Amino acid sequence: MNREKIISVKTCLGFISFLIALLMPHIFGVSQYLLTVLIIMLVFILYSSAWNLLALSGQGSLGHAAFFGIGGYTSAIVVKSLGLPPLATILAGGIFAAFIGVLIGLTCVRLKEWFLAMVTFGFAVLAHTITLELPGLTGGWDGLPVQKVIPVTVHNYIMYEYYLVLITTVIVLFVIYQIMNSKVGLAFEAIRENELEANVMGINVMKYKLTAFAVSAFFSGIAGALEIHHFGYITPEVYGIDISFWPIIYCVSGGLCTIEGPILGTIIITLLDESLKNFGWTYERYIMIGLILILIVRFLPKGFVSVPEKIKAYLRS
Amino acid sequence: MDISIFIQILVWGLYAGCIYILLAIGLNLIFGVMKVVNFAHGELLMIGAYVTFWLYSSSGINPYLVVPISTFIMAILGILIERFGFRPIRGTGKLNEIFLSLGLIYLLQNSAALLWTTNSRTIHSPYSDILVPLGTIKLPLDYIIIIIATILFLIAFQLFMKKTTIGRAMRATSQNREAAALMGINVERIDMLSFALGSALAAVAGSLWLISGQMVNPYVGSLPAIKAFAVIIIGGLGSIPGAIIAGLILGIAENVVPVIIQSLVAVFNVEMSFTAWKDTIAFLILIIVLILRPTGLFGKKGE
Repeated sequence: MNREKIISVKTCLGFISFLIALLMPHIFGVSQYLLTVLIIMLVFILYSSAWNLLALSGQGSLGHAAFFGIGGYTSAIVVKSLGLPPLATILAGGIFAAFIGVLIGLTCVRLKEWFLAMVTFGFAVLAHTITLELPGLTGGWDGLPVQKVIPVTVHNYIMYEYYLVLITTVIVLFVIYQIMNSKVGLAFEAIRENELEANVMGINVMKYKLTAFAVSAFFSGIAGALEIHHFGYITPEVYGIDISFWPIIYCVSGGLCTIEGPILGTIIITLLDESLKNFGWTYERYIMIGLILILIVRFLPKGFVSVPEKIKAYLRS
Repeated sequence: MDISIFIQILVWGLYAGCIYILLAIGLNLIFGVMKVVNFAHGELLMIGAYVTFWLYSSSGINPYLVVPISTFIMAILGILIERFGFRPIRGTGKLNEIFLSLGLIYLLQNSAALLWTTNSRTIHSPYSDILVPLGTIKLPLDYIIIIIATILFLIAFQLFMKKTTIGRAMRATSQNREAAALMGINVERIDMLSFALGSALAAVAGSLWLISGQMVNPYVGSLPAIKAFAVIIIGGLGSIPGAIIAGLILGIAENVVPVIIQSLVAVFNVEMSFTAWKDTIAFLILIIVLILRPTGLFGKKGE
């Protein structure tokens, strides 16, 4: 009974935040700056949730930029060579990233913890190197100019772009939520808690770990494609260490392995980041973010989502 | 290929290998004792190099003489990181240690950028013009100093681990923490000391790297750290001779393989710059080793 109540409160909150997000351009007007920040925020919510899904199966990746970048490059190259509209190629980016994800997953299924972290990190460096080695296809260091999703000539194009990204993100979040609450999600959690026991209970560990990799890579690829079609260009910087680390920071600060964790984490950290940026801080704000991450691991291991619980427990005592 | 060029490249690899060995042994010691992998270990190398740069540029004495001072400073920083970072989260899960290291990477990189700007810094070693003739080739004196210094460090380290009480206590703790604690070893103090020693070794590696004419900037640490990790995986977690052999193999492979491939490619006339693959070789070795042996070449089963 109590559980149902909590779920319905969460659903209400989710619905309200979706409504606020929908009305955003109408409350604050069509501001280029605000909507750009919001678009990037949404892309990273999508991307962090994808990372989170992999973490749900007990696999922490340090190289998700590989999938983000592969999704972006695939979409950019398909647009350039086939002349398809970006809306279709974003999906192609996701599919190719998922394919690579399965390949990487095949080498990673037997690895754990640091070994997995290092190898995934290595694959991001590998993807970076390979991209640089194919300048004919990828433009090398200079990257490629990319068609925007909505042409700049359209009046208020940024607003349409915002709605497109918003709807994509909401659909993806819904799918991830369904996965987390399905048998597949339960299998992921069982594997995370104890791989051997999960295996004994008849869960095909390898199959589910690969599924986690494929789905996570698919959504990361979509996030990457969305981002580069927003910026209008792609460079090898999409494989940067930062791109691999941001989703981890967002998920850990928000709350690992929950649906609302990456959303909350991305919003809070992005808002903090943007407001510190307005102070003219550059390195100081990364120092702050590093400190926040350390403090959260130390004092709030379940992330921001556990704050209400902590307050409740404190009031009761 | 001309044999003297080959030897030259080999020495280059030996020199790079020395840096990896120093870094890997520190990482290995911390892992052995605390069972923690500090992903921010490369940042300790970077900060160590900066401290040496800072001491050198403010005092102007021979850069080799300031290395002990910066090593000492880094040992203290290592103690602080262990005391306030890794000790409180001991036993809360391996992922938390990875996340904490990420936080440390951000903290240390950007603190360095704030203190010393992101410009690449370098030190002009007093011996940088001296070349030692060795048969048909000439070697920079700095490289020879570094290779000899690393060998001396390794001998001293090995003696420390085998002969002294603290070294024995470290080995006992890494073999069995509970049993060591029952034997009256203060395992938390051993944690602290091994972290200090690991940081000090990273500082030595960073300082020697800087003095030998390499550029240092705040983002320079991440690649060597990962290579050091590759070294300890190839050489076996906890094994010091393994780390030495693997460090040398990696250092030499990184420098020799691109040249070999390039000369092969020249025959087939393919346009590709294989120097870009230099940093990738460590990962290729790492990935291949881990596919074949998921716990590392000499790793224990079921860790």
